[in-house]
Amino acid sequence: MDDEAILNLYRLRQAAALTETEAKYGRLCFCVADRILNSREDSEECVNDTWLHPWNAIPPEKPKLFPAWLSRVTRNLAISRLREAHAAKRGGAEIDLVLDELAECIPGGTDPQRVVEANELTEAVNRFLAGLKPLERDAFVARYFYAASHAELSARTGWTVGKAKTVLRRSRLKLQTYLKEEGLC
Amino acid sequence: MLNRNSLFDAMSGISDDYLASAAVLLGDMKEDNLMHLDSSRKQARARKAGRILLIAAVLVCLFTVTAFAAGLFSISTRVPDAKETFQIHWDDSENGYLEWSDAKLVLTFPAVAESREIEFRPGWLPFELPEELPGSSPWNGISEDTWFRRFASESLCWAENAGRYPEEYKEIGQPILIETYSMAQFHDGGAMLMLYQTPENITEEHWDELGVDVLSFHGKQHFDERDIPEMDLHIDAYDIEYDYVLLSNEEKGWIIEVCGQLGMDTVRKVAENLEIRETGNTLTQADFQNKYLFIDGGVG
Repeated sequence: MDDEAILNLYRLRQAAALTETEAKYGRLCFCVADRILNSREDSEECVNDTWLHPWNAIPPEKPKLFPAWLSRVTRNLAISRLREAHAAKRGGAEIDLVLDELAECIPGGTDPQRVVEANELTEAVNRFLAGLKPLERDAFVARYFYAASHAELSARTGWTVGKAKTVLRRSRLKLQTYLKEEGLC
Repeated sequence: MLNRNSLFDAMSGISDDYLASAAVLLGDMKEDNLMHLDSSRKQARARKAGRILLIAAVLVCLFTVTAFAAGLFSISTRVPDAKETFQIHWDDSENGYLEWSDAKLVLTFPAVAESREIEFRPGWLPFELPEELPGSSPWNGISEDTWFRRFASESLCWAENAGRYPEEYKEIGQPILIETYSMAQFHDGGAMLMLYQTPENITEEHWDELGVDVLSFHGKQHFDERDIPEMDLHIDAYDIEYDYVLLSNEEKGWIIEVCGQLGMDTVRKVAENLEIRETGNTLTQADFQNKYLFIDGGVG
């Protein structure tokens, strides 16, 4: 069933929307959650929580690209769950490395008085991504949105692990420069 | 203050297009799920992949094709044992394929090396062709003179179009779907599989007027009732039912599938009134993005 047909089921409040969504995008959402949570049990729970969101949001919301919309919901739920898990001293893994790498994009001279609005930062990130080559952009998003490992990126791009790290490092440096130019850090 | 967490959180607002593209790279999502590809890629995919979004080429065929020895009918069917497995190409798996069992029907075609590429236009439909529909750009700009390689009408059922089409369309997912396939896709001995829908009332005919062998059947998929405790929701058991008419021209090497949820009489009438023409192109297995040794012939 195509996405528009599934979204139509939500609009019609047909419960089949849930089964169709789970059948088509269950794997996608599980992968998104599992890269962040590194726990099958937690990821499955996270994915189950995900299904509630389209049911509550559609209508009136009209996702432009349904799988991307679901990915975002799942990621946010996984991050929330991870933060709870960190409070309980468990979970993590790849995501800790991802966060450390992102810290490199923020130079030490950050003005503590400069409070960056979340929307402003998001828009800047999207503008930055628009300037990357498509494969570099995919790799960046795969790493810093989906928390893909270097090994996974290597397997998917055909790059060596070393090259994947190098490409990502260059992208981070570009992001750092860009954020500085934009006055965001 | 900007810190690594705020930057990480900002990633949640990355554009849908970028998210989808990266998900495809990671193999979490099939490229066919992208709705905003440029037109040339869309056309290429439409030509090569049709609507086969889920399952495509096969690495190994676990059964032998013997059905054409008699040479009487160009489509052969058999109901496989539930335990019989088919190794279906699947990029995302470790081995590059998945093993599928419990297929409901196997349809095999002559192993022709070349197929004539065809297109069609419906001579009769149970609804008027819309000039324009809200939220349905594929319909825009088409007319009775438009030729298709694939024709889908699920958008007639969408809520935005309520009142424009019969009330019964609200309750279904696909009024009429027409797709073209090539026998060259199955050149290495593959088959079309019905993975989900159990076939009933399989009949074989020959239509002289179109010069085609015709296989018809009714397909049904049952869903058990279930509870979703998290949502305090109960879903009653339900069936999804389609009728299928497959037109097969062995000499030219093409297949047309007509199916839908408006009943067999309507599906047959659509099929009988198809106008079919060749594009002048010849297709071999190499022309297809995936080597469709097994494909899901059902509506999914």
